[in-house]
Amino acid sequence: MTATRRHFNQAWWFLGWLSAIWLFSSLAQASLHTAELDNGMRVIIKEDHRSPVAVQQVWYRVGSNFEHSGRTGLSHMLEHMMFKGTKTRGPGEFSDIVSRLGGQDNAFTSRDYTAYYQVIGAQHLETMMALEADRMRNIDISDEHFQTERDVVAEERRWRTEDRPSSKLYELFRATAFINSPQHHPVIGWMSDIQNWTLEDVQAWYKRWYAPNNATLVVVGDVDPEQVLDWAQTYYGQHAPETIEPPKPQVEMPQNGERRMTLKAATHTPELLMGFHVPSLVTAKDASEVYALAVLNHILDGDDSARLTTELVNQSKLNSAASWYDSTSRWESLFTLNATPKQGQSLDEVEQLLWAQIERLKTELISETDFQRVLAQAEAQHVYHQDSIQAQARLLGMLASLNLPLDTYDNWAKNLRQVTPEDVRAVARKYLKADKATYAHLYPNGEDVSRKAPPAGGMH
Amino acid sequence: MRQTMQAIRQTAVQLLAAMGASVLSMTAAASVEIEHWQTSKGTDVYYVGAQQLPMVDIELRFDAGSARDGDAHGLAAMTNRLLGTATPKLDETAIAQGFNQLGAQFGQSAGRDSATLSLRTLTRDRLYEPAVDLFEQLLVEAVFRPEILTREKARLEVAIKQKATQPPALASMALWSRLYGDHPYAHPTEGTLASLDTLTRDRLQAFYDRYYVARNAQITIVGDLSRAEAEALAERLTQRLPAGNRPEPIPAVQTVAQPGKAVTEFDATQTQIMLATLGVKRGDPDYYALFLGNHLLGGSGFASLLMEEVREKRGLVYGVSSGFIPMRQAGPFMIRLSTQNAKAYEALDVVEATLKGFMDGFSDEKLEAIKSNLIGGFPLRLDSNGKIAGYVSMIGFYDLPLDYLDAFPKKIAALDKQAVLQAWQKRMTFDQATRILVGQPQ
Repeated sequence: MTATRRHFNQAWWFLGWLSAIWLFSSLAQASLHTAELDNGMRVIIKEDHRSPVAVQQVWYRVGSNFEHSGRTGLSHMLEHMMFKGTKTRGPGEFSDIVSRLGGQDNAFTSRDYTAYYQVIGAQHLETMMALEADRMRNIDISDEHFQTERDVVAEERRWRTEDRPSSKLYELFRATAFINSPQHHPVIGWMSDIQNWTLEDVQAWYKRWYAPNNATLVVVGDVDPEQVLDWAQTYYGQHAPETIEPPKPQVEMPQNGERRMTLKAATHTPELLMGFHVPSLVTAKDASEVYALAVLNHILDGDDSARLTTELVNQSKLNSAASWYDSTSRWESLFTLNATPKQGQSLDEVEQLLWAQIERLKTELISETDFQRVLAQAEAQHVYHQDSIQAQARLLGMLASLNLPLDTYDNWAKNLRQVTPEDVRAVARKYLKADKATYAHLYPNGEDVSRKAPPAGGMH
Repeated sequence: MRQTMQAIRQTAVQLLAAMGASVLSMTAAASVEIEHWQTSKGTDVYYVGAQQLPMVDIELRFDAGSARDGDAHGLAAMTNRLLGTATPKLDETAIAQGFNQLGAQFGQSAGRDSATLSLRTLTRDRLYEPAVDLFEQLLVEAVFRPEILTREKARLEVAIKQKATQPPALASMALWSRLYGDHPYAHPTEGTLASLDTLTRDRLQAFYDRYYVARNAQITIVGDLSRAEAEALAERLTQRLPAGNRPEPIPAVQTVAQPGKAVTEFDATQTQIMLATLGVKRGDPDYYALFLGNHLLGGSGFASLLMEEVREKRGLVYGVSSGFIPMRQAGPFMIRLSTQNAKAYEALDVVEATLKGFMDGFSDEKLEAIKSNLIGGFPLRLDSNGKIAGYVSMIGFYDLPLDYLDAFPKKIAALDKQAVLQAWQKRMTFDQATRILVGQPQ
């Protein structure tokens, strides 16, 4: 089961390269090639020749989990400033060039990494690599552009969070669940921090983290890997490494006793979030717990046969219910449940219904039918995933940025298969405890939600 | 799976000649070969073989969108929602389990023009055969259970009330209502609180019997099936469907129902702003020139004039965009943005000035750059089975020529500034536009 039509001649390949170390991948896909440049930059190339298109992504190991109070959101602001010019390229010129070549470019910032990408006709890949390598070390921004872009980010926060009660609830929920670890902070930063960043803050952050030895290059698409590595050496290989001081551990303190917060906002429907600290593949002492938690999550909400749908929503006990689990967080993760009540139902009642589901996981073993369904889905998803070159690149970049094995997803279903019903019950008992729960409740702002409430569908 | 034919072949495209000297270094473009036939029941089938991954995307699309609701607003969407929840033999849990244990994905959607049922499955026989069997059963043996309808109506009521507290949703509802007045495009696809009571089991059954019929359906198949297998699949899906008939055409749209400005006060930090008027039908010969112009005006992110003026120069917004929604009848054209309340009218003024400037003219250089983006970027629109399936379904549903995808970059290449300006000035007048603000604009 492979996405490629062209297989790689390993011996010929290996002889072609002296200046970089190639590791022939032992991964499921023979089309994957990895290397490390002399300056410490990781290179990951995956061939996919279905379309004459390539995606380049450069991932930096920095995000909101690296930030400090008073300067939250700086990684995301820096991401915006990366489009504002270098010593040799004017503001916006990068995107202009990508656009003229028919490409799409953008970037994203998360808690643990910041990534830049272009999707483009494969014949333009070299141009993209030259441009991306330039802005790795050479951005040059004016205070005027900085000030304008800070306003843009403030609008982004208003749009993304301030006027969306559910988003705001989630931000406050995480700030309640995480006290002393950097996961307390939102990726975009608190509004007061956004309004007080300076150009110097951004410049210092850039200098500190944007270096080849803190970065990973991912290229997926209709490419010749030897040629791509040659270009990587030419363009990225020219930069000297920096001394990267890793962030302090900032281990989240143990939680003893439940935590609660409430938010009132412009909403009609109340909402509940409920979370528990759990390990991720990065933090777990025993990775099998992570796979057991992944199965547990699927049993609750992996598909429309899962319990939250069949036993709560379909039986008209709740309006909606969901669960999720980020198994690849660099810091400790959260197992999260989310639900909205039926008309007139209290959030206390919603909590009780969710707790009944958790109790069932702690007492009953999951059935063989349920377990086989989880495996069938995981195996099919792995094929569907290969339909998008962007999704493939994104997964590889994320795994590399977290120092997880690149075949983590290829082995996912195999690892799930090792989980036993007893393992699922054991992680439920160990992690989903009443004294370890964090709750967030959202309530409407009283009757006066829309100050001149329009009838639905009509305006004045 | 079995006999193969390449879905996406790489072909040299004769663009450079048409484009003039400077623009492109493009040497290859994706090309999609669509095959079309009718089943014995009269259903149009559109097929693209793609054998690289052992999976297939199958979609049935019906002229059964909310434009067919009549006075029961939300009927099309609720009928579509309940397909796949029961058959005489299977209940909701058994159906979900049936797909999920195969790793298959069953999907439904309803818009204004159409409603769909879709299936994505692996093509290994032991998974493919039962997935298709179940899919066919849901399609032809649908049962509308009263208890499920009651439950879904309760959930819909919550959703509609929730939308009334979301400024972007309020602005969007106002847009359709003000552009279309009494036309069947005007009401929200999911219906309104007032129309909930009209969604009875009998109405759903009648809607299903009338619209979910072979001659009102089309099938799109993209993936790892041979032509012969695709033919067999299409026959299998339609064999037990009643032949039925196509419905009458959706009435034409003449003018904007409510021009002018509408402000809805809402307690939020930003104002949602929309400037909208009527656009064009899918298949309109002027669409290429309008689309190219829109790409320059506000349809291409950072490369567009609106983004440059409103965000890059002034920092007023995070995002601003413009776009057409071409439909069976004239769909909307809209510009949308959101900004802090204190800057709302300033931002709207910049938008109006940018639009007026664009209608008066723009630089040849900018036009060439945006043409280059569209033509060079065309392969990106076709780089996955999922994207190809979306385009093929659109081509079939709106009766576009089968070579639409291959022809598109050539049509764009042939347009010059004069052609773009003429199309915009002839087709797009903004004196009848509607302006919608939701928030506390200052």
